[in-house]
Amino acid sequence: MIQLKTLLNCIDNSGATIVECVRNMGMKRHGGVGDRIIVVVQKARSMGDSGPGNTTATGGANKVRRGDIRHAIIVRTRKKYQRKDGMVVRFDDNACALIGKNGDPIGTRINGVVGAELREKQQSKILSLASMHV
Amino acid sequence: MRVETCYFCSRPQYPSKGITFVRNDGKKFMFCRSKCHKNFKMKRNPRKLKWTKAFRKSVGKEMTVDSTLTFAARRNIPVRYNRDLVSTTLKAMQRVSEIKAKRERVFYKNRMAGNKEREKAANRKLVAENEHLLPRVRASERMAKETVEEPLETEAVEIPAQKEKKTKRVKQRLVVGGGVQEEMDVD
Repeated sequence: MIQLKTLLNCIDNSGATIVECVRNMGMKRHGGVGDRIIVVVQKARSMGDSGPGNTTATGGANKVRRGDIRHAIIVRTRKKYQRKDGMVVRFDDNACALIGKNGDPIGTRINGVVGAELREKQQSKILSLASMHV
Repeated sequence: MRVETCYFCSRPQYPSKGITFVRNDGKKFMFCRSKCHKNFKMKRNPRKLKWTKAFRKSVGKEMTVDSTLTFAARRNIPVRYNRDLVSTTLKAMQRVSEIKAKRERVFYKNRMAGNKEREKAANRKLVAENEHLLPRVRASERMAKETVEEPLETEAVEIPAQKEKKTKRVKQRLVVGGGVQEEMDVD
């Protein structure tokens, strides 16, 4: 149940850590896993702090800054939802991955689990970036 | 789709029942019902709750070491479908469950063996420890009782009325409220 003002964790390496939902795409009241939303980056990883040791971790420069408005795909929701096969799934937090306007992910890596609903919603690019999906 | 075991109570979680919680590191927790899910959210330890299988196993109320229990293990080797194999597997499953039931019965009997003796010993001990609470009977009183009882037996035929009265009185003493009323009626 992602709606206006919901804070989500950003789990890709685009540079954003916490984003706030400002709009659900597609005339929906709440967003679920695989839905597209518009977010404002509330917190981004600091750009200048990356020392010689962890340049790979931040991926050089951040692709987004604080205050940026971006599109994103929801990958986990805390609210439980039922799948077609009857299984009811709940995740630990609300999380998303940033995408460009054409639908390509901004980050190059995704940490953590994502919901398997992304396959049905034609978001296989994010699914392939993710290390695991449940 | 498969029948999973509940993470909390080890009951089977049938499809469409219960809830699956996915932690951020990807570990899945299956729960058979909301009771188990709620207890998990309360961070309770299933080993400390008496209604879970984990508790019963940890306290020794159920078999833990047995060859019949190893059949339920998950095998990650894909097997090609074979009609004969399925039929033999089904037969084997039945047989294994039979053996398991028998062994469980034996286990239960062994666990309960000697319960009566233990209870008796405990009762004896209780009485021995609290002997000072028992009603004191003096030797003279005991003697008197014996002497009263003997003539009653002999005179029983001669004076039945007296005996009736005596028995009535005993009853009255036992029943406090009713005894008084009976006396009133007689008067």
